[in-house]
Amino acid sequence: MLAEQLINGLVLGAMYALIAIGYSLVFGVLDKLTFAHSEIFMVGGYVGVATAALGMPVWWAIPFAIVIAGILGLIVEYVSFRKFNTPDGHITAALSSFAVGIVMIDLVQKVWGTDPVDLDIPRSIYTAGITAWGIRLAWIKLAILGTTLAIMVGLQLMIMKSRIGRNIRAVAESGTASALLGIDVKRVTQQTFFIASALAAVAGLMLALRGGFADSNVGLGFALKALAIMAIGGMGDVRGAMLGGLAIGVLEALAFQFDLGKFSEVLVWGLMIAVLLVRPTGLFGRATARELRA
Amino acid sequence: MIGELATMTGFNILLAWSVYIILLSGTLSFANGAFMAIGAYVAGIVTVKLGLPLAAGLAAAAIAAAAIGLLAGYPALRTRGIYLMLVTVGLAAVVETGIQNIPYIGGVKGMGGMQGTTLYHIYGAVLVVGLALWKLTHSPLQRLLDAVREDERVAGALGVNVVYLQLALFCFGAALAAFAGGLYSHHMFFIAPDHFMVIVSVFVVLYVIMGGVNNMWGPPLGAIILTLLPELFRPVGQWRQTVYGVAIAALLLFRREGLMPFRIPSVRLRRNQESGSAR
Repeated sequence: MLAEQLINGLVLGAMYALIAIGYSLVFGVLDKLTFAHSEIFMVGGYVGVATAALGMPVWWAIPFAIVIAGILGLIVEYVSFRKFNTPDGHITAALSSFAVGIVMIDLVQKVWGTDPVDLDIPRSIYTAGITAWGIRLAWIKLAILGTTLAIMVGLQLMIMKSRIGRNIRAVAESGTASALLGIDVKRVTQQTFFIASALAAVAGLMLALRGGFADSNVGLGFALKALAIMAIGGMGDVRGAMLGGLAIGVLEALAFQFDLGKFSEVLVWGLMIAVLLVRPTGLFGRATARELRA
Repeated sequence: MIGELATMTGFNILLAWSVYIILLSGTLSFANGAFMAIGAYVAGIVTVKLGLPLAAGLAAAAIAAAAIGLLAGYPALRTRGIYLMLVTVGLAAVVETGIQNIPYIGGVKGMGGMQGTTLYHIYGAVLVVGLALWKLTHSPLQRLLDAVREDERVAGALGVNVVYLQLALFCFGAALAAFAGGLYSHHMFFIAPDHFMVIVSVFVVLYVIMGGVNNMWGPPLGAIILTLLPELFRPVGQWRQTVYGVAIAALLLFRREGLMPFRIPSVRLRRNQESGSAR
C-alpha cells in the first residue's frame, strides 16, 4: 500500500516537475512570472479530450499538445511579455498573462462547458497492469512516469548540449551580454516560451490521462503549487524544479496515506516560505547578482 | 442592481487602497484577499458568535489582521521582489486552507448570519481612508516612502528605517483589507472560504496596477473600471469573460504605467521655488 502511494506520488510529482520546469525556464530567461502557464497546462488535458474524441490513438495527443501549447506560449509571450521591460514590468507582465489565462479558460469552457469532460478512451487501460512483489502497477501510471522522466532527461540534455540550450543559458545569465555577442534574445525568449508551454501542456495531458477526465478549473490550484515548487528548488534551475516536484509529489502522497491530505496545500506553501526564509535563492539556486536585485 | 454595484465598487476601492498602502513602500502583496478573509471571519465571529455590535467586530478584524500581518510580514519582508510576491501568494493559500479546516467557523460550508453593513458604512470608510491618504500624499512621510520605493538601499543609507516603514505599512494595509472584509461579510450575510481565493488577491492587485501606482487616485479608478467593465459587456452575453480578459490585456498593453501614472508633488510649488531644491 505504501509502495503504491509512493508510485502515485512520483506520478503526481513528475507532473508538478514538468510545470515547475516551465516556470523556471521563463523565470530564468526573463526574470518574470507567467500566470498564463497554469491555463496552458489546463489546455493540455483538453487536447487529449479532443484527440480521443476524433478517434485517434491517445498517444498522438502528445505531439498535438506540444504544438498547440507552443503556439499559445508564443501568443502569451507576444501579448504579455514583449512590451513590459521596465523595472516594474514583472508585475504588469504577470497580471497581463493572468488576463490571457482568463480568456483561455473562457474559450475552453465555450467549447466543452464548465464541468469536467470525460476522456473517450477504454476504461480497461486503468486496470491493466502487473503485480510485482505484491505491488499493483497499472501500465498507465508507468507510462506516464516513463514519458515524463524521458522528457525531463531529454530537456536536461537539450539545455546542456544543444545550441538552443546554450543560447537559453546565455540569456538567462545576462540578456544584455548575450545580445552583444550576437544572440537573438527575442528568438531565444520565444523558444523558451514554446518549450515551457509544451512541457506544461504535456503535464496537463498526463493529468487528464491519469484521471480519465479533463477539468477547466484545475489550472490555477495545481500550477500555483508548481510555482511554489519552483521557488523551493531554486528559480531558474531545472534540476531544482525536477527534484522539488518529485519530492513534493511523494510528500503529498504520504500526507494522503496518513490522512492529512487536506493539508497538502499548507505543506507545499509552508515548505516554500520556510525555504525562502532560510535560503532565499532556493535549494539549488545560486546567489547571483540578479537574484539579489530581484 | 445599482445599489449592489455601488456596494461592490466601494469594497473594491477599499481593497485597492489596502494594496496601494502596502505598495507605497515598494512591497507588492498578493495576500490581501487572505487578510480580507481573516477580517470577514473575525468580524463574523465577534458579531454572530459573541453577539457584539458591528463596530466591535470591525475593530477586532482590523486588529487581528494587523497582528497577523506583523507576524507574517516580518519574515516575509526579508525576501525581495518576486520572492516576496510568492511568499504572499503562499500566505493566501495557507489562510484559505486554514479556514476550510476550522469547523468552528463552518469549514468548507461557510458561515452565515452576519448583517448590518449599509452603503453609508462603506462610503464613509472610503471617505475616511481617502482623506487619510490625501493627508499622507501631502506630508513629509510621502517623500520618505517615495525614497524607499525608488531605492531602499539609498534610503536606508540616508537614515530611513526601511524595515520599520515597510512593516508598518504592511500592517496598515492588512488592517484595511480586514476592515473591508468585515464590512463585506456583514453585507453578504454568508461567507465561505472560496469567496476569498487567491484569485481575489490577484484581481485586487490588478485594480492597483491598472489604475496606476504613483498616486492615490489610480487604485480607486482601476477598481471602479474593473468592477463596472463586466456590466458594460453585458450586451456581448456569453462572451463576457473573453472580452473582459482581452480588455484587461489591451489596457495593460496600451497604458503600461497604468491609467493615471502621474505623481502628485508632496510639496507645493510656491514653497518649492523659495527653498530651491526641496523637491
